[in-house]
Amino acid sequence: MEASISAALNVSILAMGVIFVVLVILIFTIKLLVKLIPYEAPPAPPARSVSASSPSSGQDDQVAAITATLAAHMGKRPDEFRIVNIQSH
Amino acid sequence: MEFSFSSSASKIIHSTGFFSLAVGDIVMLGVACVLIYLAIWKKFEPLLLLPIGFGCLLANIPMSLMASTDTGGLLNFFYQGVKHEILPPLIFMGVGALTDFGPLLANPATLLLGAAAQIGVYITLIGAVVLGFNMQEASAIGIIGGADGPTSIFIASKLAPHLLAPIAVAAYSYMSLVPLIQPPIMKLLTTEEERKIKMEQLKPISQTVKIIFPVIVTIVCCLLLPGVTPLLGMLMLGNLFRESGVTARLHETTETHLINIVTILLALAVGSSMTAESFLRVETLKIIVLGLLAFSFATAGGLMFGKLMCKMSGGKVNPLIGSAGVSAVPMAARVSQKVGADTDPTNFLLMHAMGPNVAGVIGSAVAAGVFISLFGDVGGAIDTHAALAPIIGNPEPGMQALATVVEAVKQ
Repeated sequence: MEASISAALNVSILAMGVIFVVLVILIFTIKLLVKLIPYEAPPAPPARSVSASSPSSGQDDQVAAITATLAAHMGKRPDEFRIVNIQSH
Repeated sequence: MEFSFSSSASKIIHSTGFFSLAVGDIVMLGVACVLIYLAIWKKFEPLLLLPIGFGCLLANIPMSLMASTDTGGLLNFFYQGVKHEILPPLIFMGVGALTDFGPLLANPATLLLGAAAQIGVYITLIGAVVLGFNMQEASAIGIIGGADGPTSIFIASKLAPHLLAPIAVAAYSYMSLVPLIQPPIMKLLTTEEERKIKMEQLKPISQTVKIIFPVIVTIVCCLLLPGVTPLLGMLMLGNLFRESGVTARLHETTETHLINIVTILLALAVGSSMTAESFLRVETLKIIVLGLLAFSFATAGGLMFGKLMCKMSGGKVNPLIGSAGVSAVPMAARVSQKVGADTDPTNFLLMHAMGPNVAGVIGSAVAAGVFISLFGDVGGAIDTHAALAPIIGNPEPGMQALATVVEAVKQ
């Protein structure tokens, strides 16, 4: 029995060692992969262009800029939401 | 042949199952009913315990030829899928198709938690040897600590097929009890301050990395431990279906219909192996106790390594995510989230726990690979063709016909 227990201990130590070695190899491989191929955010959808025929004003420019920024931030198309109020603080 | 009323009645009575019902069969019918009750009314892994329970019910009806050992019986055919290690790898393919390795790729250090949780496997192995099991049997019992049903069945069918039934039942029963087994251990081994640690948001990962990852894991792990290729290879193929983006139909089939069909076949086959001769033994009780030991030590191992990572990172890692390293996807990760939220309702650990959780799947597969390398017959695969020849016939004419068709299509 003692021989079996010592054999089980040896197997356990060896096996845990192998598991850690295999997984450490994977960790370094993943780190290398992530470094070589960094994440790139998907391109933001183009902001809705302000109609050239409409009279240009400071308010329209502000709305267009905020719309484009919000669209990029939320990952939505500009026509999927509407700005109803702009307040300055 | 003459038939009198009395001899005919006697013959009918003798042909009923009731006449052949032994005490062991009655006990096993009771066990089957308990499993069905736990599955339906207690919701213990119902997708598995219900067909396992019903398979057990069928197998213990005398003269039904539904036991796994009844050559020519229906469930004997299903059992060939377990015996020849076909069904567990197919389940793994479905698991791969369902698994998002993103959280693991965003924080690869959590792979170590999946490795640390395997300590439960080896403490149980030593415990099993102390209780008188040989090394192959002890390995098959120990792998219950990997908290991975298909891996347990795979290893049991390879190293200790006579213990398949109790090992499978213990593995799936304890997996369903993860929400009851883990929290007390988690609270015992962590302080309130540690449980309150909020972890940084995970970085997004490039889709290309997600595609390359299963290929790399297959090459690295399967070259190091060839015995685990059926399990890990299928896991990674399923994941490649998911991430490649070009096999939507295969991905959809694998993560739904295939895994469901194979689960039915696998669970019925396991249930059919639960006969009185194989189950009503002292070894079954020992396996049930050792299974609980395996789960508890695996949880503790992951937590202690989580505490170590917490110290080394300057308090950036919540040790609770360590317990998710036992695999049991995604239940163990949900338990980490719940115990963390119990201490601080604004703490969201689920995504962080998914990293060690899927690492546990890889870790337990690697642990299985080590056992196969040590005690299995890795080279035996070479003889598989010869062994299967009487069943599937000589595949050479088929291969030649296929080559002819390929040539014809080329032309």
